Amino acid sequence: MSLRFQRLILILLTLAMLAAAILLILFNTKQNIVFFYTPSELLENNIALDKKLRIGGYVKKSSFVEKSLNNYEFKITDNSNDLVIFYEGMLPDLFREEQGIVVEGLIDKNNNIVASKVYAKHDENYMPASIKKELEKNNQWNKNYK
Amino acid sequence: MISLIGFSALCLSTIFSCIVLIPKSILQIKIKYFLFFIRSSSFLICASFISLILAYVTSDFSNFNVFQNSHSEKPLIYKITGAWGNHEGSILLWVCMISIYGFFYSLFSKSSESFKVLVLKIQSGIFIIFSFFIIFTSNPFLVNSVVVEEGLGLNPILQDPALAIHPPMLYLGYVGFSLVFSLAIASLLKTNSDETWIVETQKWSIISWGFLTAGIALGSYWAYYELGWGGWWFWDPVENISLMPWIAGLALVHSLLMVRGEEAIERWIVFLSILCFSLSILGTFLVRSGILTSVHSFAADASRGLFILLIFFVTTGFGFLVFLIKSPTKKNNLHLLLINKTSALIINNILMMIAVLTILIGTIYPIIIEVLTNTRISVGGPYFNSTVLPILLPGFLLMSVAPVLSWQTNKIKKFKIYVICFLILSITITIQSYLSAFNPWGFLGLLLGSWIIIGSLISIILRYKFSLTSKYIKSINSFTAHIGVGIMIIGVTYSSVYQKEYNFNMKIGDEVTIENELLKFDEIKIVDQENYQSLRTFFSLKNDNGIISYIDPGKNYYPVSKMITTEAGIYHAWFKDIYITVGSENNNQWFIKVYINPLVSFIWIGVFIMIFASIVAVIKK
Repeated sequence: MSLRFQRLILILLTLAMLAAAILLILFNTKQNIVFFYTPSELLENNIALDKKLRIGGYVKKSSFVEKSLNNYEFKITDNSNDLVIFYEGMLPDLFREEQGIVVEGLIDKNNNIVASKVYAKHDENYMPASIKKELEKNNQWNKNYK
Repeated sequence: MISLIGFSALCLSTIFSCIVLIPKSILQIKIKYFLFFIRSSSFLICASFISLILAYVTSDFSNFNVFQNSHSEKPLIYKITGAWGNHEGSILLWVCMISIYGFFYSLFSKSSESFKVLVLKIQSGIFIIFSFFIIFTSNPFLVNSVVVEEGLGLNPILQDPALAIHPPMLYLGYVGFSLVFSLAIASLLKTNSDETWIVETQKWSIISWGFLTAGIALGSYWAYYELGWGGWWFWDPVENISLMPWIAGLALVHSLLMVRGEEAIERWIVFLSILCFSLSILGTFLVRSGILTSVHSFAADASRGLFILLIFFVTTGFGFLVFLIKSPTKKNNLHLLLINKTSALIINNILMMIAVLTILIGTIYPIIIEVLTNTRISVGGPYFNSTVLPILLPGFLLMSVAPVLSWQTNKIKKFKIYVICFLILSITITIQSYLSAFNPWGFLGLLLGSWIIIGSLISIILRYKFSLTSKYIKSINSFTAHIGVGIMIIGVTYSSVYQKEYNFNMKIGDEVTIENELLKFDEIKIVDQENYQSLRTFFSLKNDNGIISYIDPGKNYYPVSKMITTEAGIYHAWFKDIYITVGSENNNQWFIKVYINPLVSFIWIGVFIMIFASIVAVIKK
């Protein structure tokens, strides 16, 4: 094989790999993405029943019910609309009422969510609300500093 | 008081670094004084960071940052690590490390004086940009406006030994690339034909890469036992952005092997050096701006995000601009053949770049989609598994033989032995996987992993005479590193493909059988610890020969932050981990989740070998 021919093969090989990678990316960005909504957005749009989706919001105050061991029902809210979530499994450590969470699951006919995963944020100090507001919410402000 | 000292030291350190940057035409600084300024700046920034740690240790709640992230009842080690367990403190650590890298460079560099000055100037420039970022947007020395007796406490989930040293390790990796960046830019700007920068880049890029590896592995190990999800990698954006500079750094380390005076390769190395640091900053931007809807999101502060984006554009823009303007000084063609070492390394680099690109697209795709169509999406594990892995597969195949390829010819010494061994291995593994549960990924992973190990072993045996000397260890170093990767691939494959999950509802005294072992729920204990209350469920694991081990998963309750953390109980054996987490309780029935994770220990062993190899590679020089 001449040197030139060998280089040609190398270049063609590179191009083939690049093309394969691009095809993979294009195919997978169509297949493997999950849409993310707030409760209000979800209610505005009509979502297919069998499509996996994620909903972000806060756990509504005094909506949390433990129906049996590891079987929960609660509401997720964005302060204007709520959705009922059914979840069977272990809840994350940081899961609490009024805590920001993300729920992954399917929507049923009555606009309730059957969740397969529940995520809570890593660190409650890093929530978007200002520090003082956060403190007041946790009822720590009055107790400790005044 | 101590905050004031810290802040003054920070400002003074920045001023010293600015003095260094004064052009020669205005003020001629002798090299002696130049180094004095550089080193004093490093000492001052360290003093600043130490005073922040002291503020944490003494629980000085007049400092707003301490108030927000610490509590007087916390154990001492977490008071110290609390200093970098938050945005402001961690950025101070970051800046401190930029300076420390500069300091060590000024000590150990053997380059000519003018080149050294150039590198240190660029390094100081980066230092100044980031210290401005601290002073203007993320000052950890702010005074608390109200007088308080007690702080808010560090997030309990971060109170963990692995996570305490994870950020410094990770940052030593990220920030190490700043020095590599400075070296690369200086090599473009330099006026003489000094080639020592390649040797230096080799050393510093391996150091950074080694630290980055350790940092990512620690984070991953932490996620494994602390999150209680049974896995160790979740393709979360925070993980992805650490993986990008890691892969780019890997490509850089490999490209540096190729340098044999070829201009094209030198250009490529400079490009990769700039890219590594750019990806590090991009990562910081994506995490700190809160632009990504990640489970791990940090502070969502628009002004900070904007500032980091600015830093990203300034450094990256400057880097690539210099890269484009400076034309090559000499022209040497690449010695490319079909299967010589150079072409293998080039294919490896191309694959790594494609992998970086794929991860980058997957990570920022949600942002692009949100900007364009106003819908929010998330790209999860399945995307990355089905794009990144196939891209890396040919690279893994290549790396088993690449170190034995020749630079000059197409021939491989004793080629037949490799072919025969490969055939024997594939037949064995085919039979093995046919007899056990067949899984295509499991098959591929096992084949590739064991082939990398065996291929490297053959090469070591054929090419080097065994002796227990440091020279021997050095000469087989690249094979050692690859064996580490091979072991890791097997661990990754098995722990993800053959993981098993069992759910039980158990009360005290219950026994369940899992595979060949008997798991008995012995008792529950609630104990008050220093700053938390721990609940531990005790299990004993038995087989036919008696008790193997006790496992004690549980929960910790932190009264300060009113939080509960899950503590997984893990029984580590060489070939499998038995991983137990405890859920909630109802009528004395406890929900118990048991994962059988085969060969997880291989991942950590593989990582250890890789880090060992990078240490050997640094000592070599």
